[in-house]
Amino acid sequence: MTLLRLPTATAPARPAPRARARRGRADRRPRLLVAVTAVFFVLLYLPIGVVTLFSFNSKKSLTVFGGFSLRWYRAFVHDDVLLASLGTSLRISLVAMAGSVVLGVALALGLVRCRTRLGSLAGLVMLVPLITPEIVTGVASMLLFKGLGVALSTGTVMLAEITFSISYVTVILRSRVAALHPEVEEAAMDLGATRWQALRLVTLPALLPAVLASAVLIFALVFDDFVLAYFTTGVDPQPLSVRIYSAIRFGVQPTINAVGTLMLAGSVALIALALFIPRLFGRRGGLDILSGE
Amino acid sequence: MAPLRPSSRTRRPGDASGSRMWTWLMLPGTLWMTGFLIASLVLVAILAVGTTDELGNPRFGFDLSGVRALADPAYTEVMARSLGYALLTCLICLLVAYPVAYTVALHGGRYKHALIAAIVVPFFANYLVRMYGWSVVLSDDGPVLRALRAVGLADGNTRILNTGVGVVAGLVYGFVVFMIIPLYAALERLDVSLIEAGRDLYGGPVRTFLFVTLPATRQGAAAGLVLVFLPAMGDFVSAQLMGGPDQIMIGNLIQDKFFQGQNWPLGSALTMLLMLVLLIGMFGYLRRTRKDEAEAAR
Repeated sequence: MTLLRLPTATAPARPAPRARARRGRADRRPRLLVAVTAVFFVLLYLPIGVVTLFSFNSKKSLTVFGGFSLRWYRAFVHDDVLLASLGTSLRISLVAMAGSVVLGVALALGLVRCRTRLGSLAGLVMLVPLITPEIVTGVASMLLFKGLGVALSTGTVMLAEITFSISYVTVILRSRVAALHPEVEEAAMDLGATRWQALRLVTLPALLPAVLASAVLIFALVFDDFVLAYFTTGVDPQPLSVRIYSAIRFGVQPTINAVGTLMLAGSVALIALALFIPRLFGRRGGLDILSGE
Repeated sequence: MAPLRPSSRTRRPGDASGSRMWTWLMLPGTLWMTGFLIASLVLVAILAVGTTDELGNPRFGFDLSGVRALADPAYTEVMARSLGYALLTCLICLLVAYPVAYTVALHGGRYKHALIAAIVVPFFANYLVRMYGWSVVLSDDGPVLRALRAVGLADGNTRILNTGVGVVAGLVYGFVVFMIIPLYAALERLDVSLIEAGRDLYGGPVRTFLFVTLPATRQGAAAGLVLVFLPAMGDFVSAQLMGGPDQIMIGNLIQDKFFQGQNWPLGSALTMLLMLVLLIGMFGYLRRTRKDEAEAAR
């Protein structure tokens, strides 16, 4: 790296026309790369497009489009089982959002500011869900509830979803907390605030955009989550994604296209909202919320 | 992160109480995670050597039948297939994601952020719906096979669905974003003058790429490989929707042992085996990045 960097310092100063001609060619847009990227985008959006298109199909086919119709949306609105599942999913998402944001924000604050051995241990525990595949955490949660003799239900899904959402909130909030200057809190304390007041009146308001964005993101993630819900749900109205799973396993059901399209639209709207929230507060928009950087 | 803060900050008398407050803030989340997550993972490990009663409730004991059953050729075959599919998925994701991340990061211009958002957003859409849409796209009279037939790359007998190709295609579609994000981050950080320098030193585009761009972004690639390998190895939806009964992966086995087979000790043993493989992968990654960092520090 360091060795390679040396010639660059002199490179712009070199007037050799040949070199400039070469660079001119190098700067040209590489057609092959652009073509690969274009094909990638087509394939990325094709499945989503197909689901959306056939949700408006007047026929019960997944290959022939018979004309525009809303019949599958009507079928969904009259499907009591699917509607009950929708309600379950909404409740789970709301509870998981509230629980994980409260626990996660507190954890992020503590992790950044507390440099003790307990702090580094908590930091490790927090990372576990991020490096464990969902099927493992799903199986583990199910066994825990069974082992404790708790019947699987909507409540157990909520508990499991909170557990795994705490990590996301903490990861998102951690870098924001680290970016805050502790001097500001100290200034507040010099002006007579207690530590708690400084936290409540100075630190938390500064974190508000990130907290709101992470809350929206958690809502979307939990609403769409399938694996964890699948392992921890009971027989009462199952979460929507679990219901969709059993529907697509047993063949084509165009109603699922309508539900799927609505879920796609909902997720995209929520993600857009999460990205937009920091801007509402006059901050640089936040793709970093998605990548955790 | 905070360069303004001098390293030897004068300790205030209030700091002791402050650190106690931070500990109190940290405690509920940590206890919650320990109680629900760490305890449950320990339970899986215990049940892998335990048994279940007639009702399927876990009973603890020391019984190695679940672990011993892992040596059954039927399971080792599934394990080998899962590993093969997951590694193949990693490789294909790298080959697909690199040009895409490169194009967006270095040639995206002012559309760079919009393009990366356009890649990331669909990934947050429901995984099942995306997979289901993908299986429709790859079906026998779906658009992909029709296009391939039209240009003569496939005939009437070519199938994607219900083959291993379908399973890997599903895994790639599901997780390629995990490769694009770290690669994009690495390529965006890349000092473009390095590439120019490579060119000025008369390295062709290929040589410049191989000796400058690729080494400079290898940490992004390594992170992407881990991020794809983890979920690909544990996935059971792709094999279910895109593969036939002879294409099952370890995730399908685990699901089956817990839901249809009711053999929880065996299911737990399989889960622990999966974790073990992933931990070995993680360990290799961490060792590699440590070595890289040590070299960079020198």
